[in-house]
Amino acid sequence: MSPDSNIMLYTEGTPNGLKISIALEELGLNYNVRAIKLFEHEQKEQWFLDINPNGRIPALVDTDKHGQALKIWESGAILQYLVARYDADHKISYAYDTKEHWEVTSWLMWQMGGVGPMQGQANHFALSAGADYPYALNRYVNETRRLYRTMDTALAANPSGYLVGDRVTIADIAVWPWVTAYKYSGLSTIDEFPHVKAWMYKLLARPGFEKGRNVPTPHIYLKLVDMPEEELKKIGRERSGWIHEAMKRDAKA
Amino acid sequence: MASQEPSINLYTTQTPNGIKISITLEELGIPYNVHKIDISKNTQKEPWFLAINPNGRIPALTDTFTDGQTINLFESGSIMQYLVARYDPDYKISYPAGTREWYEMNNWLFFQNAGVGPMQGQANHFTRYAPERIEYGVNRYQNETRRLYGVLDKHLSENNIPYLTGQKCTIADLSHWGWIASAGWADIDIDEFPTLKAWEERLAARLGVEKGRHVPDPHRIKETLKDKAKMEEHAAESRKWVQAGMKADAKK
Repeated sequence: MSPDSNIMLYTEGTPNGLKISIALEELGLNYNVRAIKLFEHEQKEQWFLDINPNGRIPALVDTDKHGQALKIWESGAILQYLVARYDADHKISYAYDTKEHWEVTSWLMWQMGGVGPMQGQANHFALSAGADYPYALNRYVNETRRLYRTMDTALAANPSGYLVGDRVTIADIAVWPWVTAYKYSGLSTIDEFPHVKAWMYKLLARPGFEKGRNVPTPHIYLKLVDMPEEELKKIGRERSGWIHEAMKRDAKA
Repeated sequence: MASQEPSINLYTTQTPNGIKISITLEELGIPYNVHKIDISKNTQKEPWFLAINPNGRIPALTDTFTDGQTINLFESGSIMQYLVARYDPDYKISYPAGTREWYEMNNWLFFQNAGVGPMQGQANHFTRYAPERIEYGVNRYQNETRRLYGVLDKHLSENNIPYLTGQKCTIADLSHWGWIASAGWADIDIDEFPTLKAWEERLAARLGVEKGRHVPDPHRIKETLKDKAKMEEHAAESRKWVQAGMKADAKK
């Protein structure tokens, strides 16, 4: 337990978990990590539901200035919390209620309501559904491509190469881990989105991204980029048992 | 006295996401111009609209910012955060930024934007708009929607609170209402979640919700759900443009 930090991050190496470790590293904050065993459904145990009633990672517990516990969950809410509380120098944000702040907020919500959920469904039907559902796979892969096209157009228009303004912000941080997982989501390449591809590698070079993407364990997604299809499918099958168990439990509830 | 033209322009349609904003504006009691966008005709993909929302979806909102210039906002969650930051000085439907209640409000706001909306939206798709019934899809998304409803129901009942953050209705509640009110469209039976059902009726009784839900057209989902013929008619109409949109995106 780090003596100079009250921050406890409950996480795993999924795109949503990585957003937070990257943000924390970019801010240079000390934090404690508790890896949650998703494959064993630890996130549905009561002690965890007391932190996040939705039973999903990431979740973050901090203390307020009165020493009382603050429970933040939903990666977008956590990102907003971290910059509101700890980014007075606006390293990865803009001052609250400026025009750029609202632009960052719009793109953050775009990731939370669009890229995450839709690419997440593409993941599912590409590697985790246990059978082929071409209608569903195409629906979500094409929506992911539409979203990447939207982002490619926006990046092309910004000379800095970031989503908003002149710096990396929580908007970039929210999207980045998802883009690195494109191969896991039924997209064989992102060459059709050259600005997104360039942006992905530009951010990869940052020390904060390098450190944060390997929390709590080494970042697997980029390693998949050159992997043959059969090997990728095998990994998908191995990692999907717990998903089907979870879906069964939810169906009975 | 000459009436001042409202600075707020809302681009919207009668959907759960669109009505979130008109409801929020009515709750705040501030004037706004309504621009009805016909999403069956792809108006939201035209260049003038993309200049406001590059993602080409409703709702979108423009306003005159503190520098006298136009500000563009997209994504309903961002618009709601903006509206209370600028127009809710008395915290009627929000909390002061940086307080623990504000953080809790945002937990639930993101829960709606990233969970309830997208997943119930997929449940709607596989229940009403897919060209054929794909049982796996129907089950996956209806069950996830039920799971999310269970989280809401449990939170409200175990804490014995009328609203998601406690005693006050906030944008976290207003964000959810349109979706919960249309549960039946995804074949979800709200009677399975009695505390959530009571919450839905509590919100429906609010003046702001009553006014805002009928923008830009009457909100008829509850009547539609009582009439099987109307339901099939509405589903068939939507299915046409939904499938056309998907085909067009696939070609790009």
